[in-house]
Amino acid sequence: MLPALVRKTWRDDRRTVIGWAAGVAVFTTVYSGFYASFQGVADVKQDALPQNVLDFLGVADLISPAGYLQASVFSLLGPLLLLMCAVTLTARTIAVPEEAGAMELLMAVPLSRTTFAGQRLAAAGTVITLVAALPWAVLLIVIPIVGMDIPLSHVSAACAGLIALVWCFTGIAFLTGAATGRRGTVLAVTGAIAVATYMAHALSDVVDGVHWVRWLSPFHYFIGTDPLHTGWHPAELSVLVAVGAVTAAAGVLLFDRRDVGV
Amino acid sequence: MTDDFAIRTEGLTKFYGDRRGIEGLDLEVRAGEVMGFLGPNGAGKTTSIRLLLDFLRPTRGHATVLGLDPRRDRASLHRRIGYLPGELAFPGRGRADDLLRFFADARGGVAWTHVTELAARLDVDLSRPVHAMSKGNKQKVGLVQAFMHRPALLILDEPTSGLDPLMQQEFLAMVRDARTDGQTVFMSSHVLAEVQHTADRVAIVRDGRLAAVERVESLGRRAVRTVEIHFADPVAPDEFAVLPGVSDVVVSGPVLTCTVDGRLDPLIKVAARHEVVDLLSAEPDLEETFLSYYYHSEGAGDAARTGA
Ligand SMILES: Nc1ncnc2c1ncn2[C@@H]1O[C@H](COP(=O)(O)OP(=O)(O)O)[C@@H](O)[C@H]1O
Ligand SMILES: [Mg+2]
Repeated sequence: MLPALVRKTWRDDRRTVIGWAAGVAVFTTVYSGFYASFQGVADVKQDALPQNVLDFLGVADLISPAGYLQASVFSLLGPLLLLMCAVTLTARTIAVPEEAGAMELLMAVPLSRTTFAGQRLAAAGTVITLVAALPWAVLLIVIPIVGMDIPLSHVSAACAGLIALVWCFTGIAFLTGAATGRRGTVLAVTGAIAVATYMAHALSDVVDGVHWVRWLSPFHYFIGTDPLHTGWHPAELSVLVAVGAVTAAAGVLLFDRRDVGV
Repeated sequence: MTDDFAIRTEGLTKFYGDRRGIEGLDLEVRAGEVMGFLGPNGAGKTTSIRLLLDFLRPTRGHATVLGLDPRRDRASLHRRIGYLPGELAFPGRGRADDLLRFFADARGGVAWTHVTELAARLDVDLSRPVHAMSKGNKQKVGLVQAFMHRPALLILDEPTSGLDPLMQQEFLAMVRDARTDGQTVFMSSHVLAEVQHTADRVAIVRDGRLAAVERVESLGRRAVRTVEIHFADPVAPDEFAVLPGVSDVVVSGPVLTCTVDGRLDPLIKVAARHEVVDLLSAEPDLEETFLSYYYHSEGAGDAARTGA
């Protein structure tokens, strides 16, 4: 049987998770399913936009299946939705109950601090991963139906990247919440890092001389390798996973050291 | 357990930045006793309790709870402690019984009949969602949570707050039962009357420091009371003002009023030399007199030295 705290975490997060899962599934289905009707007008749209604007938007082309998926699901909205979901749920592991004063009862369970933090993270991390895997599941179904001409392994590589990206930011959000116990700080810090690194990734393609900045951006490791055209890039994905793991571990250690509910 | 103390602190100190929470707390709670932890708001009761439970880490000093270290042995310790927080907020939005089942599971199983017994005793409906409950009912759920696994040590922060008088009595009966079963109870309060009839001893904190530890029986003797004596003839104030423990002597004709700290005997002996018409002694109001003595006067220093 799973630990009581893990089950409790899932029960309390139930509604939130269902909401985000439904949102992400519908979003992916609608956008990818729209490809058939979109093809016709895409030529016009693409001609209307200069190439460097397309670059900034993270869009190589709009007509090919890879270009379309990149533009619709992977460049902005998909990561945005999933990161919001991940940060919301991660904030609920420690910061939200701590601010609500509910930590005293939650921590009345007989667990060490590290086990407590670990179980909270494991519970939230599991559902976050499931939600982040939904685009993968949806695309593997929708792409054959719509008849997009793209290797499924390339799609899988991009979808795995999405999960790795979400893990990376889940780790950052967890570290912030475990260290501070403040929900606002979790949202502000993680949001600021996401926006800044997204822009760093986007601008490094457009602006001359700042090419190196991309190496600092999780978004580069996620999509900068162009997985929809080039397939799997395990090294880049490992970087994201490593950042997530290190920040999460740091969060557990810091939580073990500080005063709770001050 | 390696000694007879359920709780033992040595120089336990917590500062929040520059603000003093508690300083130099040396406290011993014997296994099997009920100890009241008394002090006005802001005295440092919650801070001390949260140090014992490893929510806060001491700035200095050390605490041993059930012979264990609050931080290192947190997991095994919390299995044997029942804790009621001073500020109750429940995680999640589920029904009270769902929440209690969570605690039961987390503590490795609890006889559910005991939970329903406690709920019946406190008259709380566990099928209702906790977040929609009144403060009093939330407090009852919190109490069930603390008592349900029959812990060796109950640490209760202002347990009666929000309870109506009838439920306060029921709660105090639960505390007495706990003592009968050999459990130790450490409960804080800012109202003496709450702990007076259940506690064996009280520890009194004031301004972040331990002011005194007293047996409850000795509290009454220490009470300051107002005495009014009507004599048949006028008396001289000097005769009474010199008596030990007697102060604020006011004589108007044959009527003497004064304040007596401690035993009444010296006053009575002297009064008996005259013809006494009437004698009034206000019941010692421990709340007003004894506590204000500790809370506000400098006499607290002496009291600490005479502590039990
Ligand atoms: N989180 C905190 N930050 C700063 N000061 C605090 C905090 N908690 C308590 N204090 C201060 O510590 C002192 C003791 O508070 P507390 O332990 O809550 O007292 P009690 O429980 O006896 O009412 C008070 O002066 C209070 O203002
Ligand atoms: Mg308090």
